[in-house]
Amino acid sequence: MIDLTTHLTEDERHTAADGTLPAERRASVEAHLAGCDTCAADVARITEFMKRTRELTQPVSTSSLEELWSPIRTRIEATKVVSLGGTSSKRSTGPLALFALVGISAAMLLATLVLRAPRHAPQDAAAIGQATPDSSALRAVTDSARAYEAEAQILLDRLEIQRATLRPETVKEVERNLRTVDVAIAELKDAIARDPRNTALRQLLATSYRQKVELLKRAANAG
Amino acid sequence: MRVDMKRVAIAVALIARSALGQNAADGPVLEAHRVSPTASLNLYVPAGSVRLVAWDHDSIVVRGEKSKNDRIFFGGGPQGFKMGVESRSPGESEPSNLVVYMPHAGRVSVRTASANIVGEGVSGTFTSSSGNIRLSGVVSSVEAESMTGSLDLDLTTPWLRARTGDGHLLIRGAPQDVDASTIGGTLDVIAPKVMRGQFVSVSGDIHWVGSPARGAVFDFSNHSGAVDLALSASASAALTLSSVSGPIENGFTRIRPVASPPRTMRFNIGNGDAHVSVRTFKGAIRVRPE
Repeated sequence: MIDLTTHLTEDERHTAADGTLPAERRASVEAHLAGCDTCAADVARITEFMKRTRELTQPVSTSSLEELWSPIRTRIEATKVVSLGGTSSKRSTGPLALFALVGISAAMLLATLVLRAPRHAPQDAAAIGQATPDSSALRAVTDSARAYEAEAQILLDRLEIQRATLRPETVKEVERNLRTVDVAIAELKDAIARDPRNTALRQLLATSYRQKVELLKRAANAG
Repeated sequence: MRVDMKRVAIAVALIARSALGQNAADGPVLEAHRVSPTASLNLYVPAGSVRLVAWDHDSIVVRGEKSKNDRIFFGGGPQGFKMGVESRSPGESEPSNLVVYMPHAGRVSVRTASANIVGEGVSGTFTSSSGNIRLSGVVSSVEAESMTGSLDLDLTTPWLRARTGDGHLLIRGAPQDVDASTIGGTLDVIAPKVMRGQFVSVSGDIHWVGSPARGAVFDFSNHSGAVDLALSASASAALTLSSVSGPIENGFTRIRPVASPPRTMRFNIGNGDAHVSVRTFKGAIRVRPE
């Protein structure tokens, strides 16, 4: 007697869809699918989704890329601070704007001089336990960490789509390694919250994000 | 005279066999094709093992045993081939054991799920999900990565990139530019000719043994794993060691640190010809004589 009140688990539905169902479970799952419209529809949906995902990885024609580029360019233009040539609006630069510009430049110069001024206690630029005074280095590593973080998020989203096609043991290993990296990232973020101007901490954070990005790329390659 | 002729015939046969470089013990020939000396090979072997051997012939020869239920697909032309083991039914593949002979100047891109990879003098990209990777010889460049498998890389190459998750990563031989990392696996480096090296881990220990080359630049980074540098007596390096909360130990007791704030230590060994930077979050840093 098939139990139609308890639906198949997520794992059973995915493995049924990608054909990796263990032999010993196949008969009972197929029997359930034959009698349960809800699960059968879901498995059909996952199968169709995986088919479409595979189709998406096929090479895209040049004409399709041209069609894609137009709305992307529009979105870039909308968020740009400086517009691309030919689309910039003409704005007059009056004396007030010039005065403001000079004022901001002076403030920035002053801030740079203050930050770069020699301290009484000599500091090692590579010192990791202390905040380093070089704001350009701080900005660079902060940007680097952000870029890696953004890339990691894109790869995580992609992995979620690809998840159904990955071998279960690969998924398990990826998740375990991700946990290790995420713990490191959490510890570093916590330390940065307490010492936000510490360049070395941000370098370590950028390195950890890079590790995460490479791990996710390896997962994608593992198939 | 007849005996001598027989000996000569045996010797010629042995030389010919040696020149061919193949070994019948590798199994029957599955595929054999003439290719250009710089041909590329794209290879997929899910389970079992694959051994890639570079030779001085313009041909690709595949020997070995494929699993009963799988089939081998093979296609391409003189400039490159694509080959793989394909399961006839969904699910796990059974192990196939292949030996591939390919031109020395060619490049391979091999991918496996659980199959182990061995490469002898072969350049290219070696990727496995859980298989181990062992590479040796003189090659133009190598990129090797495994999710959980171990990597043993004994290579002479201008460029080497290696990645693993929990596996053990061992770098030997004479690579010049090395970028190596693990997540939790131990990373061991015994390669004195490295000129530029970046060695990173999240929680695995990193061990470096030897004397850094003159002018070499090394960057070690670890989150919670230790970084252990065992330097030989002839070593000449400027070291910058820093950790947020991990201990820093200097085993060169006769050398006084140039700078030693609470979490940073700088000192020179010899003339300071190589530059070594070590950074950890909470992992220990140890520098000691070999």
